[in-house]
Amino acid sequence: VSDAGGAARLAEVDAALAGRAALPRDNGELVFEEPWQGRALGMGVVVLERTGVTWAEFRRHLVAAIRRRPPAPGESAATAYYAAWLEALEALLAERGLLP
Amino acid sequence: VSTEHGHDHHPRPDSQVALRARALEAVLAEKGLVAADAIDAVVELYERDVGPQNGARVVAHAWTDSAFRERLLTDGTKAIAELGFGGAEGDNLVAVANTPTVHNVVVCTLCSCYPWPVLGLPPTWYKSPPYRARMVAEPRAVLREFGLELPDEVEIRVWDSSAEVRYLVVPMRPAGTDGLTEEALSTLVTRDCMIGTAVPLAPERSP
Repeated sequence: VSDAGGAARLAEVDAALAGRAALPRDNGELVFEEPWQGRALGMGVVVLERTGVTWAEFRRHLVAAIRRRPPAPGESAATAYYAAWLEALEALLAERGLLP
Repeated sequence: VSTEHGHDHHPRPDSQVALRARALEAVLAEKGLVAADAIDAVVELYERDVGPQNGARVVAHAWTDSAFRERLLTDGTKAIAELGFGGAEGDNLVAVANTPTVHNVVVCTLCSCYPWPVLGLPPTWYKSPPYRARMVAEPRAVLREFGLELPDEVEIRVWDSSAEVRYLVVPMRPAGTDGLTEEALSTLVTRDCMIGTAVPLAPERSP
């Protein structure tokens, strides 16, 4: 995986998720408060690449999950976002028959 | 639940959602859908995010393609998208070109707004109160402290970034670079010269 390819992929993800499903950032920097958040993002990127599912389709699941799951009291925006991200990924995989 | 990925160093007990992430990763690995090292590679890239090399590519492309240069100076956001950069909503990139009589430099007087899709993370000094205050009041003196001595006849334009508009300085192409490829040119473009506190490196003479 080349650096340039990685940056282009990130730009693609950013563009696809802009707005309601935008990746949490602080002054432009991606925010990962705990390692599992980065791994959740990584799982999404790899699963979409492997299955050919588009970011537009994932975005629909993600927006729905964000709506279903507002931040709990005391929960940070990044935690709430990546928790919704996991839910969206699980829903997508279930829909595709890839998860029980 | 598999825990052999070496990510168990943080002191707090795993939250429920962290456990859920790990469980999902284990299932994906079991199904042969996603290998842990594939995720590692993505995480590593994304944690580093982007760096000034994106901006350097933009500048080198502008140096070698005058039509692109025109587009870059007319609509920076659109032009960098041609190269696959940008994407975040609300980030308007404005490219400003240095000439023999005008030198541009970028500051964010309010906070630390910065064109991250092309320059990556801002240097510490960019966020420091003295830089933010003094660059507007006495740019020539501040640039001198950066080691950039500009002739008196060169006008210095200071651009104040905001959440809506981020600036990218397009420096002048150094003399003696006619034969260089775009890739070689991009190595001459440092982060600082796209902020405006430096000018591009002189090309190395091959022996």
